[in-house]
Amino acid sequence: MVRKEYQTKLDELRDDVLYMSEVVAERLRLALDALEQQDGDLGEEVITGDAEVNELYLDLEQDCIDLIALQQPVAGDLRFIAASFKIITDLERIADLATNLGGYAGEAHQELYPDVDIQRIGDATLEMLETAMNAYREETAEACYAVSEMDDEVDELCEAASELVVRDLIQRDQLGSDEDIEGTMRDVSRLLLTIRDLERVGDHGVNIAARSLYMIENNDDLLY
Amino acid sequence: MSDSYHIQETDADSSSSPDPTPDDSSTDDTVRPGETDDLVPTIEDVPESQSVIRSEDLTVHYGDEQALQSVTVGIPEREVTAIIGPSGCGKSTYLRCLNRMNDMIDAAKISGTVRFRGTDIYAEDIDPVALRRKIGMVFQKPNPFPKSIYDNVAYGLKIQGFEGDMDARVEEALRNAALWDEVKDQLDSSGLDLSGGQQQRLCIARAIAPDPEVVLMDEPASALDPVATAKVEDLIADLSEQYTVIIVTHNMQQAARISDKTAVFLTGGQLVEFGNTDQIFENPENQRVEDYITGKFG
Repeated sequence: MVRKEYQTKLDELRDDVLYMSEVVAERLRLALDALEQQDGDLGEEVITGDAEVNELYLDLEQDCIDLIALQQPVAGDLRFIAASFKIITDLERIADLATNLGGYAGEAHQELYPDVDIQRIGDATLEMLETAMNAYREETAEACYAVSEMDDEVDELCEAASELVVRDLIQRDQLGSDEDIEGTMRDVSRLLLTIRDLERVGDHGVNIAARSLYMIENNDDLLY
Repeated sequence: MSDSYHIQETDADSSSSPDPTPDDSSTDDTVRPGETDDLVPTIEDVPESQSVIRSEDLTVHYGDEQALQSVTVGIPEREVTAIIGPSGCGKSTYLRCLNRMNDMIDAAKISGTVRFRGTDIYAEDIDPVALRRKIGMVFQKPNPFPKSIYDNVAYGLKIQGFEGDMDARVEEALRNAALWDEVKDQLDSSGLDLSGGQQQRLCIARAIAPDPEVVLMDEPASALDPVATAKVEDLIADLSEQYTVIIVTHNMQQAARISDKTAVFLTGGQLVEFGNTDQIFENPENQRVEDYITGKFG
């Protein structure tokens, strides 16, 4: 084995990206907990914790640039670095979305829609993220495709949830049964935003899988 | 990827048989990613009509040592083809076979064929000197003659008995070698007084003055500083509009920067992969090529 230092740097980049993904998954988990428990303080913790993710993101971006500028990577190494460079952006965005969720946690006060299972959707997106990062770590193409299929389910869950909320809202309006219409509207819009943000977390999971697939076998099937 | 074919190793009985078994590499051997047998070369097939030089089963021994192992490939016209590989892989040997520079090495034993525009260049009636006017060469170290700049460029034309407007041809060659502006006022001074980078461009001017079709370059920039290297690299890109350029280089980044096609030779004188340069550097078919270009061995 030659170019030892270069190989070490590649290994470090992989480890660091995986570490960042664990931090981001943890943020998302906390945000979901905060939502479930309507815990504003926990939500706030997710928001302030985002600085760490941003810092990680910028550090890793610089590491990728350094590797490209100084080591002139080619072939599989190049695809690995290019994929990592894109994946850290998706991870950073997921963390941003987690801060959104953290923000909603302290604001929702009513249990308007017990049938909308935010936790189920949240768990599904978390699983997507973990599967995608596994594909990146283990270099397994099948797992990348699996993430794409999981996203179809998440999309369906999100669509069904949004529809349920909107239908109910129309019904309420027709019945004129809501006394605190402004409060309801605020909660409903927060709920719809939560659903949309989770759906976007899933999209970023697919992006990660798509870049991993490109990395693994130069295959752009999952890139849109 | 669809234009890549396996070339089966023909167990070279090393006779330069003019009629090799017809189509020993059948087309249903198309390589798919991940299915590559790393011991089988992946050679993009350049159609006869587009290849200016074609070697078939080219094998070279220096004494007992095998320097090239049954190399079959077509070199496309008016493109830059880079030949890369570790030391001793046979890349310079291959280059030298293309204009019979190996004739000068007594111990070299060559079998197989090299065709230039369909003509076997090792046929008995071929004059190597005339061949080298069509297939010129630029060497690693700039080697201008101890003559004036003008005479360096005019040399090949004079030998050739050129009777046209010599001044115009010299100027054209120097212009094409991106040297004219720097030397036009000192054409009578010695070529040896130029800087290393200028000397190399003078050698390129000398090589293209007889209007060859192919320019072979053996590490043409390895003795030059980065600025002179950049000028030679720019020049190579310009040259490929008019000429077919085949360049041997140790510098993989240089190959990536300047070539359209890349040929990777690995130890034992085997051509392991030949194809578009972007394909080779982004997603080589052969694991051994991947390991070599990413620096895992070599």
